[in-house]
Amino acid sequence: MRWVALSLVTLLTASDPVTFNKQIAPLIFQNCSSCHRPGETAPFSLLTYEDVRKRAAQIVAVTQRRYMPPWSPEPGYGDFASERRLTDAQLGLLAEWVKAGCPQGDRADLPPQPHFTVGWQLGPPDLIVKLAKPYQLAASGSDVFRNFVIPVDVKNTKYVRAVEVRPGNKRIVHHANILIDRRQSMRRLDGEDGQPGFAGMLDSAETHSDTFAPDSHFLFWKPGTVLEANPDDLSWQLDPGTDLILNMHLRPSGKLEAIQPEVGFYFSGQPPTKHPMLVQLEHDGALDIPPGARDFEVTDHVTLPVEVDVLAIYPHAHYLGKQVEAWATLPSGARTWLIKINNWDINWQAVYTYRMPVRLPRGTTIGMRISYDNSASNPRNPSNPPKRVLTGPRSEDEMGHVWLQVLPPKESAEDPRVTLQEALMRRRLEKYPGDFAAQCNLGELSLMRGQLRQAVSEFEQAVQAGPKSATAHSGLGTGLLAEGHYDQAISELKEALRLDPRHLNARLNLARALGAQGDLHSAAAELDGVLRQKPDNAEAQSGLGFVYFLQRRYDQALLHYQEAARLRPEDADVQTYLGTLLAMRGDLPGAIKAFEESLKLNPHNDVVRAYLARARAALAAKAKRY
Amino acid sequence: MLAALCLLLSTHLPLLSPHGEKAVVLLFVRTDCPVSNRYAPDLQRLYENFARQGIDFRLVYPEHGLTAAAMQRHRGEYGYTIPAVLDAGHQYVARARAKVTPEAAVFVHGELIYRGRIDDRSVDIGKERLAATQHDLEEVLATVAAGRTPERRQTEAVGCAIENLP
Repeated sequence: MRWVALSLVTLLTASDPVTFNKQIAPLIFQNCSSCHRPGETAPFSLLTYEDVRKRAAQIVAVTQRRYMPPWSPEPGYGDFASERRLTDAQLGLLAEWVKAGCPQGDRADLPPQPHFTVGWQLGPPDLIVKLAKPYQLAASGSDVFRNFVIPVDVKNTKYVRAVEVRPGNKRIVHHANILIDRRQSMRRLDGEDGQPGFAGMLDSAETHSDTFAPDSHFLFWKPGTVLEANPDDLSWQLDPGTDLILNMHLRPSGKLEAIQPEVGFYFSGQPPTKHPMLVQLEHDGALDIPPGARDFEVTDHVTLPVEVDVLAIYPHAHYLGKQVEAWATLPSGARTWLIKINNWDINWQAVYTYRMPVRLPRGTTIGMRISYDNSASNPRNPSNPPKRVLTGPRSEDEMGHVWLQVLPPKESAEDPRVTLQEALMRRRLEKYPGDFAAQCNLGELSLMRGQLRQAVSEFEQAVQAGPKSATAHSGLGTGLLAEGHYDQAISELKEALRLDPRHLNARLNLARALGAQGDLHSAAAELDGVLRQKPDNAEAQSGLGFVYFLQRRYDQALLHYQEAARLRPEDADVQTYLGTLLAMRGDLPGAIKAFEESLKLNPHNDVVRAYLARARAALAAKAKRY
Repeated sequence: MLAALCLLLSTHLPLLSPHGEKAVVLLFVRTDCPVSNRYAPDLQRLYENFARQGIDFRLVYPEHGLTAAAMQRHRGEYGYTIPAVLDAGHQYVARARAKVTPEAAVFVHGELIYRGRIDDRSVDIGKERLAATQHDLEEVLATVAAGRTPERRQTEAVGCAIENLP
């Protein structure tokens, strides 16, 4: 019996020799050809028998080392979409085929070549922006990390469901990270060395850190990625006046190269209804690696105050990074692995999206550990001999970040992102006592919740940590204003404006405080100041309308409320004032329309309901008269 | 004309420096190998430094099926002025026992005295130092140029496999 089984195996093996057409072509088409085809990033195509045979030994060498296809995470430590990893059996097939002399096999066995979309992967984009001038990359030298500043010209707010990068010269672009600079704060660095852009490695969302509730989407591109648009409910907001920072990893090819990247935007017709958040694990303060250290570790953890779905993960370290691990310890004590990379290679860093979101219950602790090799035996060590390394954006500095994109299911009364943000900031204070950013963020959160006393105390600590920060003084002033301490509020807001005369929020709140004190004249002057800086600021328009209303300058009040209603049609109060002003000047149909609009937005306002009834009655009476 | 010269060279394997050169250096490259392509400026620099010091250079393309025109196109694209040889029959490969690209072989009076890496920048496939710390080929060439005979050496080169002939 055993003999029969054995000979059957022999027979099957013998009758089924490995050929290109039967076993190798499907393997190559599925795992290699998306990058190894004309116009793509790989140095040669792998589409035909001849393409593969010409590099057969090379293919065996790079697949055995698992250098190709590039896929860093260890199997079994997170289930990722678009995983590209050959099985041991597939590696065996390749080796066997080459050993047999690369037989081509029966033509009938050859599957059709895969079909790839040429050009923009998602079809023509709704908006294309392009780097104004090409960047020249030298023929040789070490890798270049370059940030290109590209202004995005949109007239009004758009909602983006996908972004596609076309580097222009894929062979030298290893990967690209897109950052959204809402304050155009990086422009000043652009071109300072005579070439487009500026040097350095920025990791995802770096520029988000000064705005709460960023849109929290990873905008990452690497060659060969299968691009998928987000569903409409997961779009992100793109405002006029935004700069795109395209952070590119460029590799000299041996000859002078030029690149002029293009970015395509695909818009959604509607604002997002799902709002993910980025959770960052880091301990940059502890990143102080002595020269020669072979296994320096940085760890961090945070406990989730709400349930979340983890959508994607992005680990980031530079050249000394050795091993990256992230996991979740559930309230039950069980451990769920989020990612494990044993041989960290900055060249193949990527955002990894989970095949299915990973649900983590409230009370789960997320942990990370990144190890570093700062010894001379790490060939990638940028310093020879090794030297002390701290955190920073240059390639010779280090980083140790694990970003998680999480989506808290919306169930509780409070926005779970607020709860989560608070936990993250409290954890930050544990790591960095008195930390300015954490204090500011906590102050903002308390303001949002209406916890005014707490907000004031948190902003006071923020002012202590950062006495030169306009944002901290503005936050403190806003808290004091809400508490009714107008004199103190005015002094803090004026200090904020002294530090940053363009701080819009500070000026708006100063106008409110002055108005609350009855100084309508000064309030109007501040609101005019806001509008000079930003004519389409709806709050300043309605604020000025209100001041003129109080001053009984109704015609001017009407103009500003009309402008405010155009800019922000969803504001019920603006519609109410607009209706009142229109009724006063005798435009009853206009007033009725505005009151109706106001009631549609806020149906529970009986005063407006009464105004509407009166306006309708007046209109009916007028009709009767004629 | 050039193509004809290349063919002539590849059949005769004149590694004996007929014009009294101090040494012959073979530099193995492939048109489609990103590793050897990234070395192009380094190889060209070595050529410019040492050719005028009496060392004979050949850029050897061991690709089966490569046309002379494609070889010259690649040479122009990467700024090489090193004389090129199309080694379609792998005579040079066999003589130097070269395995990958880029790889160097240095012959003095027809005798192989160095074979291996250009420098230690590439540590493994996909694993590179930011800058080389040992410049093996350059050291050998400097010794030869100075009129001395270097010790016979071999190093492990890292790069793209030179495929066997079909």
